[in-house]
Amino acid sequence: MPKRSHYQGKIHSLQKELITRWYNDLHALWKRQQGDKDAPTSRPVNGSVSLMISGNCIELLQAFDLLPIYPEINALQLAIRKQALPYLTKAEEIGYSTDNCGYVKADIGFLLEGHETGQQTRIPKPSLLLCNFVGCNTYLKWFEHLSEFTKAPLFSLDIPFLLSEEPSPAQLSYVKKQLAELIKVLEKVSGKKFDIDRLREILTLSSKAEELWSRVKGLAKNTPTPYEAYFDATTMMGPLYVYRGAKEAVKFFDETYRELSEKVKLGVGVVPEERFRVVVEAPPPYPYFKSFRDLFASWGAASVASTYSCVGGTWEFGFRHDPKDPLDSIARHMLIHNVCNRNFTQRYDQIERYLKEWKADALIIHSVKSCRLFSAGHGDMREYFSKEKGIPTLFVESDLEDPRYYSPAQMRNRFDAFFESLEHKKLGKKAGAMKS
Amino acid sequence: MIYACGVDVGSTQTKAVIVDETRKMVGTALIPTGAHVTKAAEKAFPLAVQAAGIRPQDVSYVIGTGYGRYKVTFGQSQVTEIACHAKGAHSGFPGTKTVIDMGGQDTKIIRIGKDGEVDDFSMNDKCAAGTGRFLAAAADVAGVNLSEIGPLALRGTKPVRLTTVCTVFVESDIMSYLAQGKKLEDVMAGVHRAIAARTASLAARVGVEEEVTFTGGVTKNIGMVRALEEKLGVKINVSPDAHFTGAMGGALFALEKALWKESSPVST
Repeated sequence: MPKRSHYQGKIHSLQKELITRWYNDLHALWKRQQGDKDAPTSRPVNGSVSLMISGNCIELLQAFDLLPIYPEINALQLAIRKQALPYLTKAEEIGYSTDNCGYVKADIGFLLEGHETGQQTRIPKPSLLLCNFVGCNTYLKWFEHLSEFTKAPLFSLDIPFLLSEEPSPAQLSYVKKQLAELIKVLEKVSGKKFDIDRLREILTLSSKAEELWSRVKGLAKNTPTPYEAYFDATTMMGPLYVYRGAKEAVKFFDETYRELSEKVKLGVGVVPEERFRVVVEAPPPYPYFKSFRDLFASWGAASVASTYSCVGGTWEFGFRHDPKDPLDSIARHMLIHNVCNRNFTQRYDQIERYLKEWKADALIIHSVKSCRLFSAGHGDMREYFSKEKGIPTLFVESDLEDPRYYSPAQMRNRFDAFFESLEHKKLGKKAGAMKS
Repeated sequence: MIYACGVDVGSTQTKAVIVDETRKMVGTALIPTGAHVTKAAEKAFPLAVQAAGIRPQDVSYVIGTGYGRYKVTFGQSQVTEIACHAKGAHSGFPGTKTVIDMGGQDTKIIRIGKDGEVDDFSMNDKCAAGTGRFLAAAADVAGVNLSEIGPLALRGTKPVRLTTVCTVFVESDIMSYLAQGKKLEDVMAGVHRAIAARTASLAARVGVEEEVTFTGGVTKNIGMVRALEEKLGVKINVSPDAHFTGAMGGALFALEKALWKESSPVST
């Protein structure tokens, strides 16, 4: 029977504390909206802004003491707690298609049913809906619908899709101009004047957290890897997107880096006996997060890199926010340095780098039925890596939010068959090496 | 004499094969799986032992395979049916490079290496359209015996066009064609063509290389064999023991383990 490992460490409890604090602050904002004007928050807050994870510009919100609402994080939390299904069906009842993005449906259903999270906290009506359209065009319609339902004002930040290696001067100035417009809106919404020095301080803190996050990612290059660069990395993204620009994120990643460096020194791996190192592409099946992870662990497989952990930004290849030219830096982050705003071949290059520099044996593609952004082109990706590059590639499909698309027996079968044949190949190589 | 056993617990049927140390198949058993998977495995094993004319304790190693492999509680280990079908097909036809396995609810295409090891594979996802279920549903709605539909299909001269996205929906399509007065053999030929087309696209994902060997329960259907040959444009190997390919592969894996145990002077 497959072995189960215990995944909760100090990092997880730190992360939980930070996320709980964030949701409590949101709950306090909601209480203020209900009339309890004195409901306390952990730090000064002028309101809340909904925004998207892909290429998020949290630093701008920090500059105005605005709290983020991340509908995607709400949705995935519901899925992990196995609470998403009634919200999905609610959305489908009012007309959303079964093929629509699961995040959208869970969020809309959740909103219509009173916006109460699994921890009995409420999400306030946002002061602003900031649709940062970075890669995912579903975002545009999602936020239009949220605006309909919440009556909150909507600002669309149009980040052009990057087809080449670098943005053109026109693309950069287009984005910066919109950021300047956004700043005016944020001033109105928060009642606070824009202070560029404050933004510089925030970006300095961001770059510190980013440096540490990049080093954490680098630790997975070790054999064995001290953490799961898919499952654990997903958990670590919470503090990265909610507290980036604040000292909490620096503290979190500093502690994380220390703890994991210690494990590297002692040679302690995240799986008891690391047999396979894999790169994973695309979001996980949140409704089956733990059992999906068990599938990896049962074969002694550990992820050393993942594309999904770059969904809010890619920092392992050198990019840091630069306080010297704040709007330019923020624009570059959104345009260039996140996985979803780049084309297929750029993603292939990224994966190839992971396979090589992080010394991985195989690629696992978890295609997501309702996510066009990530899943478009997966068939070609599979072909490219398995046929042209000779990389053992496992292709599986389910959904990131909807529990109905996951077939445990089929999934198990595919993982078993894949690692079985990988094991055979490894043994074959060993035997060949011994003979010669 | 050393004996080893493979028990293949499938969604519809449970198969057991016993081989001796010369890799010869000496006993088999085939029973419906039913709701109690462990009981099915426990029944199939003694039946195969009896057929082999040996005693249960003569079997050195048992491997469980198929969806119910973790329920073969008296087995020593489990191997997926992908690896077992690859090994079984290769042992029957050593020139095999591609295996097409069509079972009750599963279609798998396996590309294998020179020693019968798995190089790549693809399987039907999410739904059973284009699998044995499809044929069973078609036979059911047309009111014919499952064993008859193959020969019927061969007599079809103008195969009808059928949807392959849903096994359940295809039933209404079939009824509609029959109501229009289409000949039963043309409808059945259409059913087999549809499955062959779906299988071919699944096969294209891993690439079809000769020799191609067909395994699994559906091999008994001559209509399916011909439809696949026509669609893929190659001759297809079919063993009379194709039903037992998975269990045979499991038995051969078990034999390797049993012989290794024998040859190691120190037990671990």
